[in-house]
Amino acid sequence: MMRSDPTGLSGRREFLQRSGLMLGFTLGAQSVLLTPAQAAAEKIPLSTLTDAEAETLAAIAEALVPGARDAGIVHFVDHQLSAPPEEALLMVKYLGVPPAGLSGFYRGALAGADAAARARFSKLWPALNAEQAAEMMALLNGPDPEGWTGPPAGFFSFALRADACDVVYGTEVGFEKLGVPYMAHIAPPSEWQV
Amino acid sequence: MTQIPTTEAYDVVIVGAGAAGGVIADRATAAGKRVLLLEAGPARGLQDLVSSQIWARKLKWAGPSVEEEGSEKIGHAFNTGWGTGGSAMHHYGVWPRLHENDFNVSSEYGIGLDWPISYDDLRPYYDRAQSEVGISGDAASEIWRPPAEKYPMPPVPTFAQGSVIAKGFSELDLATSPIPLAVNTTRYKDRAGCLYDGWCDAGCPIGALANPLATYLGWALAAGAELRNNAWVTRVLHDASGARATGVEYVDRSGERHRVQADMVFIAAFTVQSARLLLASASDKHPSGLSNSNDLVGRYLMTHPSVAVFGLFEDETQPHLGATGGQLMCQENYDNKKTPGGGFGSYQWLIANAVKPNDLLGIATSRPDIRGAALQPFMEKAVKHFGNMVCIGEGIASADNRVTLSSNKDAFGEPLAKTVHNVAEASGIMRDGALKQGKAVFKAGGATEVWSGPPGAIHIMGGTVMGNSAQDSVTDSYGRCHELENLYIAGPGLFPSSGAVNPTFTLHALALRTAEHLFNV
Repeated sequence: MMRSDPTGLSGRREFLQRSGLMLGFTLGAQSVLLTPAQAAAEKIPLSTLTDAEAETLAAIAEALVPGARDAGIVHFVDHQLSAPPEEALLMVKYLGVPPAGLSGFYRGALAGADAAARARFSKLWPALNAEQAAEMMALLNGPDPEGWTGPPAGFFSFALRADACDVVYGTEVGFEKLGVPYMAHIAPPSEWQV
Repeated sequence: MTQIPTTEAYDVVIVGAGAAGGVIADRATAAGKRVLLLEAGPARGLQDLVSSQIWARKLKWAGPSVEEEGSEKIGHAFNTGWGTGGSAMHHYGVWPRLHENDFNVSSEYGIGLDWPISYDDLRPYYDRAQSEVGISGDAASEIWRPPAEKYPMPPVPTFAQGSVIAKGFSELDLATSPIPLAVNTTRYKDRAGCLYDGWCDAGCPIGALANPLATYLGWALAAGAELRNNAWVTRVLHDASGARATGVEYVDRSGERHRVQADMVFIAAFTVQSARLLLASASDKHPSGLSNSNDLVGRYLMTHPSVAVFGLFEDETQPHLGATGGQLMCQENYDNKKTPGGGFGSYQWLIANAVKPNDLLGIATSRPDIRGAALQPFMEKAVKHFGNMVCIGEGIASADNRVTLSSNKDAFGEPLAKTVHNVAEASGIMRDGALKQGKAVFKAGGATEVWSGPPGAIHIMGGTVMGNSAQDSVTDSYGRCHELENLYIAGPGLFPSSGAVNPTFTLHALALRTAEHLFNV
């Protein structure tokens, strides 16, 4: 039997340059749409993470994937943790962490990272020098280091590395830097591309 | 207790607006039935399918959690969809057929369960779905293919990644063929041809890949089927005798409960939730759940044991090009289910999948051990020289692998699903052997580095298996529950065995068989 096109979308890529989603941040009394990198540059206040948690997250993410800090890893993760659970886009939701538990997962791990850094070097993770941070990073990929609390350290490291890869490599800009053509059917309107 | 009014009546109510539900809705609507689809997730159209691996996560399960246990968890959140179109919205369109001996593993090998039908029974519906949906492929080069009509479209092209890996197979005297994909290589029945830009995982907005909105579900909606989103069905209702379903109860996003009357109820809520709903619908007439007097609902939960092989090649591979499902396949020795060392199960290789830099199946995540300053050089090389392929192995139906109800509840007070899934030792041996072969293929193809991913479970099947009687199964071969005459299951939950092929084609064929049997169209 002959079928009609119920979607009304019979064209090709040029027909499909439609809006995706932007990240909504609050700037003063206004809601604005920014990329995480822009949000970081604008120092947009965080919604879920504390400043201390944000510093720890940025330090670990940058060590995992250089460029993550400037790409806005903190605002990316904070935005996802602050969104309704069913809207969450963090990769760890694939791996058995329910959306409603994402905030606890990240905050628990960040507390664990600081606790482990304090147990080993008597200071929080962001205050570690390069050599100490490298030592702690190595420890994250084995059994939980001394002092660690929260989800398994290795699992957290895997998840945060994936988040950092999202903001560094998973965007149109990230593709371009790698020399990979993005070739979107429907291009997200922001360079963050969510 | 507050009385919930029944305000509406339909000929057919379908729980779940995915691939199987779409087929049923299409045929029922064509037969003049008044059809309602109740979908737990949000509304979604093709125009919402933004090309982004981050965005793609919106297509995956975001409903009540599933508590998972076992040696190889089923990966419900990754393998299950969320919203209009269900899991098939993110599926890769790999549409091979089950083989003839996949239908009788118990009688032939003494392992698992037989189907109540044969390949010959299902073949006409495979052929019909193939014609209606459109599949690209090269039947002549699939030397392992069971009897079937030729593909209506030429195969997807082989890009550089496929060529270099195919060389490795050839060196080991293993045949490859173009992969059969429900992806248009030409314009087909008003649907566009593929652009080979590798965004299948994020959903195909041009309708080149046969997701439900582009095919049966879309056709059903255009023909008048009604779709209601954010409708979480909490139980199937039945009459005083317990022999007939009378409709369903659902809760909307605000928490308000509704009841809908129906002459015929289909549960097409994907494997885990279909079983959960039968169990959660327990009543005085069915105290252990609907169609569960023999404690079979939820049992024989299956997945495909899988593993991926990765490598870097001297040649440039353009790994971003093509379809996510792959360019080529290999089913050599598929029909010999006894594998060396006491293993059991068929397997196939899906070769040269299009990959992106990020995400769970992306290039960066294939090497989680590379961090810091070493990552950028790896990425710069890998995006030009990466190769990958995935082994899909056969799972074994075991009564101990099952879906049950958790004591924990969702936001509406309904029990969560709990799953237990352990991989049989024989399946592990099969997969280990396949992995060894896969690495040898890459080396033979000239890979300079070869590595593999962790073993994993993909696709979810069983739990509401079909069979010949209530003694051995939940439904008959049409998905009709043995204990309620007008309650049907549709989807891969019906499979008594998994074979080693992607399940979406088979679930379409099964649903077509049921729908044509019931509605004569």
